[in-house]
Amino acid sequence: MKSTQALVLVFLALLFTWAGQVALGFFQVGRLEPILNEETNYPAPPTPSGLAQTGARVFASQGCLECHSLSVRGPSGSADLTRGWGPRRTVPRDYLFREPALIGLSRIGSDLSNAGLRIPESKDLLMHLYNPRQRNPNSTCPPHPWLFDSSLAGPSIENEALPVPTRNWKQLLPSYEAKALVAYLQSLRTDYALPEAPLK
Amino acid sequence: MNTPTPSVCKANSSAGILLIGSVSWALLGAGLQVLATTQLLVPSLSYLLPIPWIGYGHLAPLVSFLFTYGWISSGFLGVLLILIPRISGIPFRYGRLLTSAAILWQFAVLGGLAEILWNGSTGLLSLPFSRSVSVLFFISFLILGTGLTRGLGRSWKSGPLLPRLYLLGGLIAFPLGLGTAELLLRGSLAPGALQIIMQFTWHSFLHHLWLTPLALVLLFQLLPALTGRAAGSLSLGILSWVATITLGGWIGNSLASEGPMPSWLQSAGVVATLLLGVAVLGNTLLFKPLLEGKWEECRRQVALRFFAVGFWSYFASYAWITFLALPGVRQTTTFTMVGQATQALLLFSFYGNVLAGGIYALLPASRSMGWPSHPALAYHFWFTTLGAALLASAYALAGIFQGLALNDPGVPMSTISSYLRPFLVIVLAGQLFWWIGQLAFSSIFFASLLKLFPSVAPVAVFPANRDIPNHPLHPAHH
Repeated sequence: MKSTQALVLVFLALLFTWAGQVALGFFQVGRLEPILNEETNYPAPPTPSGLAQTGARVFASQGCLECHSLSVRGPSGSADLTRGWGPRRTVPRDYLFREPALIGLSRIGSDLSNAGLRIPESKDLLMHLYNPRQRNPNSTCPPHPWLFDSSLAGPSIENEALPVPTRNWKQLLPSYEAKALVAYLQSLRTDYALPEAPLK
Repeated sequence: MNTPTPSVCKANSSAGILLIGSVSWALLGAGLQVLATTQLLVPSLSYLLPIPWIGYGHLAPLVSFLFTYGWISSGFLGVLLILIPRISGIPFRYGRLLTSAAILWQFAVLGGLAEILWNGSTGLLSLPFSRSVSVLFFISFLILGTGLTRGLGRSWKSGPLLPRLYLLGGLIAFPLGLGTAELLLRGSLAPGALQIIMQFTWHSFLHHLWLTPLALVLLFQLLPALTGRAAGSLSLGILSWVATITLGGWIGNSLASEGPMPSWLQSAGVVATLLLGVAVLGNTLLFKPLLEGKWEECRRQVALRFFAVGFWSYFASYAWITFLALPGVRQTTTFTMVGQATQALLLFSFYGNVLAGGIYALLPASRSMGWPSHPALAYHFWFTTLGAALLASAYALAGIFQGLALNDPGVPMSTISSYLRPFLVIVLAGQLFWWIGQLAFSSIFFASLLKLFPSVAPVAVFPANRDIPNHPLHPAHH
């Protein structure tokens, strides 16, 4: 075999992979569009806020993906729906506005595709970030106290301060990263119907 | 194989830098890996010492990064920089440029390390660092890859074809995959789920079209040279090569189960994995006769033993990947620790052993140095082999149990975590063994580079066999 023949073969083989996955993938999922819900007049999937998009980066940087996935599978061969991780399976259109689009490959912790549905209160999510064992003493999730700032409380404790005991008249306030992360987690919900994945 | 000439040695300093970097990153990664697993095993530790940059969320992607880009990629490039001018007889030009590129690669690893440690991972699969680090890798690779391709092209007709074919595939796949991933993932060109497809594609490129072909270059070039036998059927070899290069990029899709990946892509990933299993079988049929009846030589020669274990690990890794792609198995094991088992098999057993064999076989030729017949050689082999075996088997069993438990909605998540604990103890033991083995290798590697041993030979032999065999890679020794 000549070197030029080998070069052509390598290019063709890699082109096959590239075109098959990237180009065909683009034509299939890269051109998906949101569906307009005619009853509510809202698009599905909903567009996340700027804070939630920042939160996606905080989510990634804190290494949450090392233990949590972001993909609910259907009823055949998996117990994701029975475990209450979501009202339906996730489909490519659900990831339309996710930037960066993350999936995670591990489930040491539960799936978070519907974290916003399962824990809707931001206070609860903040408490979980500060000390996961407060809600669940058996939790293996590590605490993230660095996402909170300790500051002197004024005459009264601020509304967003965490309800945890502190010393020296201090209060624990969520940092911008903590608020963004909570906004992202709250944005994770698939309680809208799509033609390819209706709600049951 | 040609005798090294002084001009060939121009690339030696760049190879030296890459190999020193490789050994150092492996040592650091092994230590951090132990720290990460300890936190997974004893979650209370992170409550006692809540420091973000040594938390599990930072260390887990960092360890994976250090092993893939620091240890294995850097090591393979270093070994190839020694090998290619010797098999082609064509010296590298612009030695200083190559040295700068080798230093740049180490800076890129250092930059990635600092970023992940302080800022955390980007969350992208096999791309946990920022674009600036990617650019450093890209520039460094373009220089090193151009140097290697030049030697490859000019010597195309001399010597065996298969290692050249695999090298060509790897050298083209790496920049194509990294460039496409960068453009689509960080250039805002890929919307939504396409980003996830691209992540799986890059993950496949990195492992199955970059690291695996480079490991096969060393196996196809050095195993026949060390055993004195020629690889069998060339047409079977070419068929396996075509299958590896064509299908390798699709394997990652079989990791996904439903979710953001279109089902046809997942099915294509499964079919590609099953077909690639046939290609691996083809290569196994080529390698197996080379080692038949060579038991005594494998016992004596360090490089040959590492290559032999590396070759069997190649077969085992892809047999495992093929098993995981089977539909029923895939449904059960997605999102479990079987992924770590695959990583352990590929990194610590296949790539790691082939790289160690390559270093033992080729380093003396480039540095006018030798290996002592020191007990550390045996410690290196036994501790790393035992460590890798414990790691892979514990992760595999943990993953299967985890998958079965996850599919039973009656089992709470906290109970699943407690199921995993005994396996994590074995994983930790495996990682400690592997670290000790790597420490033994590092000590002998650096001491040999510094010429601290009074009695050395160009061929590394285990201490129980001090008679030095004739070595086809070192004609001066005959």
